[in-house]
Amino acid sequence: MNAAVSTSAGVLEARNIVKTFSVRREGRTREVRAVNDVSVAVAPGEIVGLVGESGCGKTTLSRIMIGIEQPTQGEVRYGGKPVADRADWAALRRSVQYVFQDPFTALCPTMRIGKALAEPLAIHGLCAPSERDGKVARMLEMVGLHPDVARRMPNQLSGGQRQRVNLARALMVEPKILICDEIVSGLDVSVQAQVLQLLLDLKQRLDLSLIFISHDLRVIRYLCDRVLVMYLGEIVEQGETASVFDNPRHDYTRTLLAAIPDHSRALAAMADNA
Amino acid sequence: MEPVLSVENLSVRFPGRAGDITVVDDLSFSLEAGRSLVIAGESGSGKSMACQTLLGIAPGSARVTATRIGWRGRDLQKLSQEDWRGVRGAEIAMIFQDPTAALNPLITVEHQIVDAVRAHRRCSRDEARARAVEVLGMAGFPDAAQRMKSYPSELSGGLRQRVAIALALANAPSLIIADEATTNLDVSIQAQIVKLLRELQKKLGMALIFVTHDLGLAAEIGDDLLVMYAGHAVEYGPARGVLADPCHPYTRGLLRSAPTLKSSRDNPLVPIPGQPPQPGSIGGGAPFRSRCPVSVAGVCETARPGWSEAGPGHLVACHRFAQDGRRGLP
Ligand SMILES: Nc1ncnc2c1ncn2[C@@H]1O[C@H](COP(=O)(O)OP(=O)(O)OP(=O)(O)O)[C@@H](O)[C@H]1O
Ligand SMILES: Nc1ncnc2c1ncn2[C@@H]1O[C@H](COP(=O)(O)OP(=O)(O)OP(=O)(O)O)[C@@H](O)[C@H]1O
Ligand code: SF4
Ligand SMILES: [Mg+2]
Ligand SMILES: [Mg+2]
Repeated sequence: MNAAVSTSAGVLEARNIVKTFSVRREGRTREVRAVNDVSVAVAPGEIVGLVGESGCGKTTLSRIMIGIEQPTQGEVRYGGKPVADRADWAALRRSVQYVFQDPFTALCPTMRIGKALAEPLAIHGLCAPSERDGKVARMLEMVGLHPDVARRMPNQLSGGQRQRVNLARALMVEPKILICDEIVSGLDVSVQAQVLQLLLDLKQRLDLSLIFISHDLRVIRYLCDRVLVMYLGEIVEQGETASVFDNPRHDYTRTLLAAIPDHSRALAAMADNA
Repeated sequence: MEPVLSVENLSVRFPGRAGDITVVDDLSFSLEAGRSLVIAGESGSGKSMACQTLLGIAPGSARVTATRIGWRGRDLQKLSQEDWRGVRGAEIAMIFQDPTAALNPLITVEHQIVDAVRAHRRCSRDEARARAVEVLGMAGFPDAAQRMKSYPSELSGGLRQRVAIALALANAPSLIIADEATTNLDVSIQAQIVKLLRELQKKLGMALIFVTHDLGLAAEIGDDLLVMYAGHAVEYGPARGVLADPCHPYTRGLLRSAPTLKSSRDNPLVPIPGQPPQPGSIGGGAPFRSRCPVSVAGVCETARPGWSEAGPGHLVACHRFAQDGRRGLP
């Protein structure tokens, strides 16, 4: 990312982030370095993909970018200024939303879906109480769910249904930036295509920015303008998605690309073996 | 060969305001030792619910009925609580869609696996610990001897999922039910786990039910493929036959909306138009009728399609196909 872009309005940036966890085990303390000097920036209307080995620090990095986790070193900047105190973080959270990796624990188990979706509207005073139900219903339909889902409890929904409720909840406040941690992996590919289309529409219409974490490189290739490849807490390769995928430079990127299951490829291989 | 598992006419219903809501409707399939069945299909179509009934752990409010759920000569519906203790986790193990729920947050990974091993086998803690290291290694959990001393909250999503896989492997079960077990894993680990499950099947004659949305993965791991839509099986047969010549309009719609490495925004993915029906609203007709481009007037609204044969062992539940062999959708 060049400096001119990173200082402009609306850019969310993480600079030189380091995160170590101390783990106490059998009386001894050990340091785990989860993120090691990583910088990321996302501009309005841009979709940045984050891929990498499981455990390489993607979730940790994104949690730092919305202030759920404190970095050991480095800073988060929004609109060109460091996000330093509580007031700054509160301002950031009005425009940046996060959809968690785990759809099962992200929703309050005792709150009906409709209430969970209307809550952010109430907290941020975004619309008249009489309009809330209508907004909730429309948002549910946008993510491919029936408006009746509003009456259900989280434990009455399937995994993919919960995943979409979480996305709907994040979109309720019309964020400028959305961080999505593995949100389409549990969806059938038709619903997945619908959700990806929705995200692309929001990018087009509202200049929504996305940081999109996924293990599915086919989805990353389809959706993202740029991609960052992480390995053991560091960014090992980045660039325009098409050029990284067509000419991977790092060995780890090559390994990832080679391991993608593809039904056309698998069928061709089976035909060869037959 | 005699199947180890045979599910006959399984239905799962939940009580609703206006009568029961059926989420799994008259599902039948069977599985031989050493073979794998992939279940794919719509989100919310009843895949997890069907799997849970095989382990006797459907939610308390669910009403489960079946003509028979045959498991190695027994009917799982007739097992006592006591019998179940010997089956669940030992003969049949499940890897849940939600790895966090399968793990106790207050206990280290090591203890959880040691406890699981000792629940079914008489052995010392050291032997059980050695087994824990072994199965964690199989599941691709790095540096197992050291890191198994972690608590689940100290692990990334994918590492937790590998612990769940290791737990399922702990007692060398005869059937593993993997409900989206590799969804949160990067593709190289996923490939490693698929390979491992394949080897276990060959070596130990283990049977496998593998729920996934990834049709590429289905082609790699599945001997058979069952496609579900709105609680119904709509297509069933050898994975390779079904994927080479998908016959149900829903299966075709799915394949068409799947991204491949060549997909780009210039060539947008096409979701299946329309929305799935609300569970319980299908009535007597064909489950896909509200979205089907080739429905048969006067038939699909009122009659449930039965199986027609589309190839060797390849079954499709579609009136259009039964009538004139047409497959609908390009
Ligand atoms: N406790 C419950 N009460 C009522 N309905 C429920 C309950 N649990 C699940 N359902 C409904 O049953 C249907 C089947 O759910 P299931 O979890 O089996 O879906 P699935 O095929 O596994 O979907 P996914 O791919 O999203 O995980 C869904 O429509 C869901 O909303
Ligand atoms: N609270 C914690 N205490 C100790 N270690 C932690 C903690 N949270 C994360 N870690 C470790 O930090 C590393 C990075 O974890 P993170 O969750 O960011 O990975 P990830 O890239 O999101 O992986 P996945 O794809 O599996 O979700 C992992 O090795 C993890 O075990
Ligand atoms: S033709 Fe009828 S039975 Fe076949 S998929 Fe369409 S609606 Fe269903
Ligand atoms: Mg993660
Ligand atoms: Mg499920």
